[in-house]
Amino acid sequence: MRKDPLRVRLSGRGGQGIILAGTMLAEAAMQDGLKVVQTQSYGPEARLGASKSEVVISSRDIAFPEVLMPDLVLCFSREAYQKFGRHVSPGGVVLLEQSILKDVPDAQGQTLPLRDTARELGKELVLNVVGLAALVAVTEAVSRESLRAALTHRMKAEFLELNVAALEAGFALGEAVASRA
Amino acid sequence: MRLIQGNEAVALGAAAAGCDFYAGYPITPATEIMEQMARILPARGGVFIQMEDELSAVAAAIGAAWGGARAMTATSGPGFSLMQEHIGYAAMTQTPCVIVDSQRGGPSTGLPTLPAQGEVMQARFGSHGDRVAITLTASSVLSAYEVTARAFALSETYRQPVIVLLDAVLSHMRENVDLPEITPVPRETAASAQDRQPFGDNPFVPFGEGRRTVVTGLAHDESGLPKTAGGKAVERMLRSLEERLRHDAREITHFQAYRLEDASVALLAYGITARAAHEAVDALRQEGVAAGLLDLQTLWPFPDYLVQEIAERVDTILVPELNLGQYVIAVQAAVQGRCRVVPLGRADGDLFTPEEIAAAAREVQDAKGGIVHA
Repeated sequence: MRKDPLRVRLSGRGGQGIILAGTMLAEAAMQDGLKVVQTQSYGPEARLGASKSEVVISSRDIAFPEVLMPDLVLCFSREAYQKFGRHVSPGGVVLLEQSILKDVPDAQGQTLPLRDTARELGKELVLNVVGLAALVAVTEAVSRESLRAALTHRMKAEFLELNVAALEAGFALGEAVASRA
Repeated sequence: MRLIQGNEAVALGAAAAGCDFYAGYPITPATEIMEQMARILPARGGVFIQMEDELSAVAAAIGAAWGGARAMTATSGPGFSLMQEHIGYAAMTQTPCVIVDSQRGGPSTGLPTLPAQGEVMQARFGSHGDRVAITLTASSVLSAYEVTARAFALSETYRQPVIVLLDAVLSHMRENVDLPEITPVPRETAASAQDRQPFGDNPFVPFGEGRRTVVTGLAHDESGLPKTAGGKAVERMLRSLEERLRHDAREITHFQAYRLEDASVALLAYGITARAAHEAVDALRQEGVAAGLLDLQTLWPFPDYLVQEIAERVDTILVPELNLGQYVIAVQAAVQGRCRVVPLGRADGDLFTPEEIAAAAREVQDAKGGIVHA
């Protein structure tokens, strides 16, 4: 059973597509018939720094837009983990890009080879879609059909094919975690 | 149902209200308004110009209004400071236009990507001389759409620049909304304006449509002609406008009251801060604290009648805002001792959490009867 409201925090380095991932998640939740608020937080730098995007999904009106204690966390970088990834509600899910473990050996959460999977698809840029799809496969935060539709709507046509492949690869990674649990 | 960003809602609200001219200079967190207008306006025969700075952006909007357009510009704190001179010019020349300011942390370049509510007083008093300063704000994506459209209507009715205050979080926030249809307010026709003076309480008629006139920032009377001894005319026209706004206060003032009927502690909040205050009210009510919320969309002219009405009923008005105590000054002035008024400010680039506001309300409740120093 999905928590209601469900609070999701996506984080990583600026430039990793965190905000786009949050927007797609929010749009998918909307397709599922729910209310959503998506916010974002980043520094003044054009790239790098720690960036986060938060999505609150609920069957009711959502007052406070930001996430104080997330139920689901997806984190792509060490700095973002240290800044945004350490807190999660009881019973919550944390998915981490596995290279974070090199810098933070005691990082708490399920680690997945998100970046390597993106690289194998030909472009590390699709890391955001791989990670988001894995999170959805593990947690069923939104339906897969809705996430596919949101991806198609939000992605530029020229990058769609690659990103659909990233989506399916992410789903597969997430399923492996789900069956491990 | 669409997933829309706050800044996008501003652009769509402007378009729905008939905006056909945008001049601006990009700045975080307002840039997406400009990007959207650049998409929307040329496609429907409007004009979009990227200007060299914010001074010229307002100047272009004023010129476009006199040319018959419905004009808007948008910026953030540093640009809003630069705009003050020409906002005063728009006020003096009674030019309808809309200026959106998405507030970020200040002073100066400050915190470009983080929210603040530091321009509440600047919106009212930022340019020199006396003027009215109709100022609206929004606490949701849907209200950003509606409020922007409303700003155009009010600017037309009172023929003044109208300011819309947002903040970095609302500007960038996305919510799923159904946008209602909006009908642009009709503009006076040249024929009906023919026998009337071009300034004062008379309707706005663009260049070339009504009487021959001059537009000047110098003191002038209802004919528009500058006069050395024009001070009396300036004061007369300003007082008359103030009187109209006072008379229309109940229509101009838009707000949402939440659980205020039997409240002993009223939270008076506006913009994004009202979202946290809303949740704080629910938390306080669960603990048995009779809290309520007044979420104001019309900040200026200050809604005296409304705040005084609430002050008569409650023990305390708590005013959370993302500055170190601005709007609370106006609240105190209006309340005049009818109840306690307690400020709650922060200016570090973070939002208030619901719990922080609830904690302040609890403290106020516990100190009931004692003296709280502002």
